[in-house]
Amino acid sequence: MATGEPLLAVERLTKHYGNVVALNDVSFSITDGITGILGENGAGKSTAIKILLGLLRPTSGTATVLGQDASESIAVRARVGYMPEHDCLPTHVSAAEFLTHMAEVSGLPPSMARTRAADTLRHVGLFEERYRAIAGYSTGMKQRVKLGQALVHDPAFVFLDEPTAGLDPAGREDMLALIRKTHREFGISVLFSSHLMADIERTCDRIVVLQGGRLVQSGEVGQFTRETETVFIEVDNNRERLVAALETRGVVVTIDHTGLTIEGPDESVYDHVRDALVEAQAPLRRMAPRRRALTELFERDAETANAQGAA
Amino acid sequence: MTTDAIAQTEAPASHGGASGTVFDIGYQRYTGRREGRGRSRLAIFKDGFRTALGFGRGARAKILPWFFIGVLSAIALVMAIVAGAAERLGGPGTAERADLPSHSDFYGIASIILFVFAAVVAPELLCPDRRNRVITLYLVRPLSGADYITSRWLAFLVVMLAAAWLPQVILFLGLSMGDPSPALYLRNHWLDVPRFLGAGAAMAAYTTTLAMLTASFTTRRAYASVFLVGLFIITTPFTVGLAQEIEGAAGQWISMFNLTNIPVHVNDVIFGDVSEITEDAPARELGARMLVAWFFIWTLVPGAILWWRYRRLTP
Repeated sequence: MATGEPLLAVERLTKHYGNVVALNDVSFSITDGITGILGENGAGKSTAIKILLGLLRPTSGTATVLGQDASESIAVRARVGYMPEHDCLPTHVSAAEFLTHMAEVSGLPPSMARTRAADTLRHVGLFEERYRAIAGYSTGMKQRVKLGQALVHDPAFVFLDEPTAGLDPAGREDMLALIRKTHREFGISVLFSSHLMADIERTCDRIVVLQGGRLVQSGEVGQFTRETETVFIEVDNNRERLVAALETRGVVVTIDHTGLTIEGPDESVYDHVRDALVEAQAPLRRMAPRRRALTELFERDAETANAQGAA
Repeated sequence: MTTDAIAQTEAPASHGGASGTVFDIGYQRYTGRREGRGRSRLAIFKDGFRTALGFGRGARAKILPWFFIGVLSAIALVMAIVAGAAERLGGPGTAERADLPSHSDFYGIASIILFVFAAVVAPELLCPDRRNRVITLYLVRPLSGADYITSRWLAFLVVMLAAAWLPQVILFLGLSMGDPSPALYLRNHWLDVPRFLGAGAAMAAYTTTLAMLTASFTTRRAYASVFLVGLFIITTPFTVGLAQEIEGAAGQWISMFNLTNIPVHVNDVIFGDVSEITEDAPARELGARMLVAWFFIWTLVPGAILWWRYRRLTP
């Protein structure tokens, strides 16, 4: 593939299950990096991933992976990995044996499969436990085995479907760190599906938001949060006088229990804040730019979509 | 990542100043050969073969398959010992005159054990993959559903061939050794070898296909095994009894549905003999061609259904 060409692309993708529309005219493309596919349960995330993996045929539209038609080319699957959301591990074999087998099924010769399995288990943090039967593993360890089997054949691209599902906070942190490592250290691009916006925001470079089978937004994560940037101000006293001083300068202020939040700041707002602080004689304790979380953005988009649906 | 970052850590010197260096060469991209779909099929085949015989598993996984193979071999060994003793004690040709069971009778005697073996072991190759949903991981690799089921079917066919042929080989060797003149025995009976290979292949293909098809309908091994054993055990007395009550063509066709007899009829056609379990079967009156065609229908149609079910499988 030529540099800059999308690794994945879907064009006017539609999938019907009987009368149910799982995906409706969805188009987006993904280049190198970590991309989050965000949406509530039933938004169409898993359907999109299954079409990209060639497991489902679209009702209409096209899906290409590494430049090849996803539903036609079996060979391209040697260069992609998939970590499903659900349990998918045998219980009676060791992680080393399982990963070796999966590497062979991906087309690697047996000797290389054994080497790759050991290396991959080291990278996902299971090297010491690699000869134990999977049945005895914790949920976090099983998630690592699932990630390992997706990476063992060194794919160019890996699909992770809800990789943090069922993990405790520490396990979730570890898994997110592993996902970042997968791209930044291993050089494998990632499409990471989740309904947990915090996970996507902290891990991904780009985001695709689906809702009810429709594409709501797609682009850089920074782009989403930049457009809702705010400035947070905390003062020791004279807060009401400061609010009045800001409002006389035309600045929109929201008061919360710890401080003030100023919406959509541009360069001039900082000058207005400086002048208002002097005028109100309010000692400044803290002033910092803040980004709205994707949670808020998603709620806003959901409200817009619902309103359009109602209309 | 294309960088081969090498992190180097100096281990502290200890006990006499020796020191070591630990290298972490980081993640390495795989640049070797990718053998594609052929390797994927072979991996599924190998795994199926090992699973069926319990290789690489604990002792419990080995008990059942090796118990059945042991019983089948023991039957052949006993047959060989009895025939050998008769030949030694009664003189040459005693075994044949006494009509002692030989190669042509073996599958008639051992068919029920082969069926139970298939019923118990075949589900092991399909049910856990669907129950644990490992099948999902297979189908996202360079492997189609049809590749998967063909590889699994072949793996179990090889196991069934081994279970069907090994006792016949033991029997052949036993009869040769037991004969007062082994060389003469080999010269007079060499045709038994291709015959039992053919009859064994028919028995293995039939039991493999029916057992795999049944296993493809459930994720529970026990359900598949019980259903299959029931199918073989119940259809036999049912069809035999009904065929005796109803005379004529209807009785002959009812007799054709005795699932245990279907491959044994083929064995009879190959050896030009009649096994003990098929000698009273009205189905024989339909003729050798019909019996062989019936065997192919009962092997190819379930095989096609099995292939079709997996070809369209989506996890």
